[in-house]
Amino acid sequence: MKGFYGEFGGQFVAETLIPVLDELDKSFELLKCDKDFNDKLNDLLKNYAGRPTPIYYAENMSKKYGCKVYFKREDLLHTGAHKINNSLGQALLAKKMGKKRIIAETGAGQHGVATATVAALLNLKCTVYMGSIDAKRQSMNVKRMKMLGAEVKVVDEGTKTLKDAVSAALREWVSSCNTTHYVLGSALGPYPFPKIVSHFQSVIGKESREYFENLGIMPDYIIACVGGGSNAIGVFKGFLDVESVRLVGVEAGGISDKDGEHAARMSFGKKGIFQGSLSYVLTDKSGQISNVHSVSAGLDYAGVGPEHSFLKEIKRCEYHYARDKEALDGCLELCKLEGILPALESSHAVGYFIKNASKFKDKTILINLSGRGDKDLEIILENMEGTI
Amino acid sequence: MKGFYILGGYPDMKKFEEVFKYIAEKADFVEVGLAYNDPVADGPVIAEAASKVVKSNIKIDDILKIVEAYKKSKVYIMTYANIFYQYGLKEFSQKYKNLINGVIIADLPNRMHSFFYDNGFDIPVIPFVTPESRDEDIEELKGSKADFIYFVGVRGVTGSEVNFLDTELVEKVQFVKKVTNKNVVFGFGIKTKKDTEKVMTYADGFVIGTEAVKRQTNINEFKKYIESIIR
Ligand SMILES: Cc1ncc(COP(=O)(O)O)c(C=O)c1O
Repeated sequence: MKGFYGEFGGQFVAETLIPVLDELDKSFELLKCDKDFNDKLNDLLKNYAGRPTPIYYAENMSKKYGCKVYFKREDLLHTGAHKINNSLGQALLAKKMGKKRIIAETGAGQHGVATATVAALLNLKCTVYMGSIDAKRQSMNVKRMKMLGAEVKVVDEGTKTLKDAVSAALREWVSSCNTTHYVLGSALGPYPFPKIVSHFQSVIGKESREYFENLGIMPDYIIACVGGGSNAIGVFKGFLDVESVRLVGVEAGGISDKDGEHAARMSFGKKGIFQGSLSYVLTDKSGQISNVHSVSAGLDYAGVGPEHSFLKEIKRCEYHYARDKEALDGCLELCKLEGILPALESSHAVGYFIKNASKFKDKTILINLSGRGDKDLEIILENMEGTI
Repeated sequence: MKGFYILGGYPDMKKFEEVFKYIAEKADFVEVGLAYNDPVADGPVIAEAASKVVKSNIKIDDILKIVEAYKKSKVYIMTYANIFYQYGLKEFSQKYKNLINGVIIADLPNRMHSFFYDNGFDIPVIPFVTPESRDEDIEELKGSKADFIYFVGVRGVTGSEVNFLDTELVEKVQFVKKVTNKNVVFGFGIKTKKDTEKVMTYADGFVIGTEAVKRQTNINEFKKYIESIIR
């Protein structure tokens, strides 16, 4: 069936959106091969966003853990995370489609900031939906979005986090889809969004592949955190065809295995239909979406992109989780050893690596550093009092 | 076809039973909503009511027991895809296909109906038409086994303001009737008797949701409202 990855994906949305999704799909398929479009996008990625991002060999960390650790430095991008790759791509797409306004949802605020930024750059009106809990814990990003000229709509419904921000954006889009493009922030939602977002993020994998090809080696492992799954799919895409490379997605293990205390959909979720697609989801038997928890707002989400569910099912990728505490420890360790402050989302990948370091002995590992941690300082300090 | 949407289990099972019993006798059809905690297609009134029902852990089977006990008119179940998916598409269908006349699934667009049918769902899924629907998509609905086509008159959620005599709307509904040869029921945004009169000049039926759910907590007000509409 069109729009599916194996049994996952699809278009589980209001009928109203179907013509819009079709139009989006058509425009995307045309533009992704269009020279002008790609020249413009590549120019912005290079000169505005700061691509290609470096790959950094972490010597201190490698020595300590007895392996070779590399970091893909998406944290060095303009606005501080990989989200800008997708926002630039989609905003250009929206512009080409003649839309005057874009909307977005945001959890950690990084996608909101990236979208507000490109809206300013491309002269588009912009509204960002954000759960009230997230708006509070990432208040600096709320201020940034407002400075950039975006309207921030704080959503005080349901779980007051990313899920409800997505719902609010979807609701709004149903009424305004003629004039507005929804810049969905991760490889999630109804087809063609998972495809579009992973296309715009695949630049991470492409650059990484080139780097290792030039070195004449391939990494044994690639580790990335998985919220909706966009940074992970972006880096994985570069290596899907290299069987020897093991691809590891790390979800938010929160504080325990108990329902409501984590966001580990691959470990504890089941197949379900949520916010546009069939994928793994944290849901109860009666079909209600479960509460989730993570110390990082960007991983605090009950669903996951359908392509990841497919990659899990065909056993091409493996999915694990790191607890809040392990992520925080990973964050601090990277600060201390390498002088890099990672976002709490990315810290889950680091935390998973450190916890399982013995497994990685003598191996070559690429960790995708999806973003930088400036936005998380308050949370980190709050949680690590006494240890810093 | 005069229909009303009420929310299953709201505000509690006893009051729901009263309301259902009453409406099953009065209306041509009843839409019974099953609460979902991510109700993207619902306006604030229904969304808030649903969130209360979710918290009280009411079982789908208990709601359908009430439907079975008092059903007089046609009954359609309205909810979201994950509710049926977690119940089991085949299981739900086998259990209830003789009881209910169809389902209305807010996040299952027409092209995805086959996903339900292919996975063992045997109850007719009611198709949607919206002001944006393309002619070729409307033509495809000819083959639907559902009793009627649900015309979503509003760009947006339930409970919004609408101009029911907007020529574009009217022409669209007329086009749907002509092309599909099916009854068209107008949903979303209807509040008053006057609204229904306007809609009935071109549609075969209407369904009222928000205004009915608002009064579900008080059976006397609910009765008074229903009477004001169908008298
Ligand atoms: C820095 C960073 N990394 C990762 C994520 C998770 O999203 P995704 O899985 O789409 O990369 C977010 C989301 O907000 C983020 O801000």
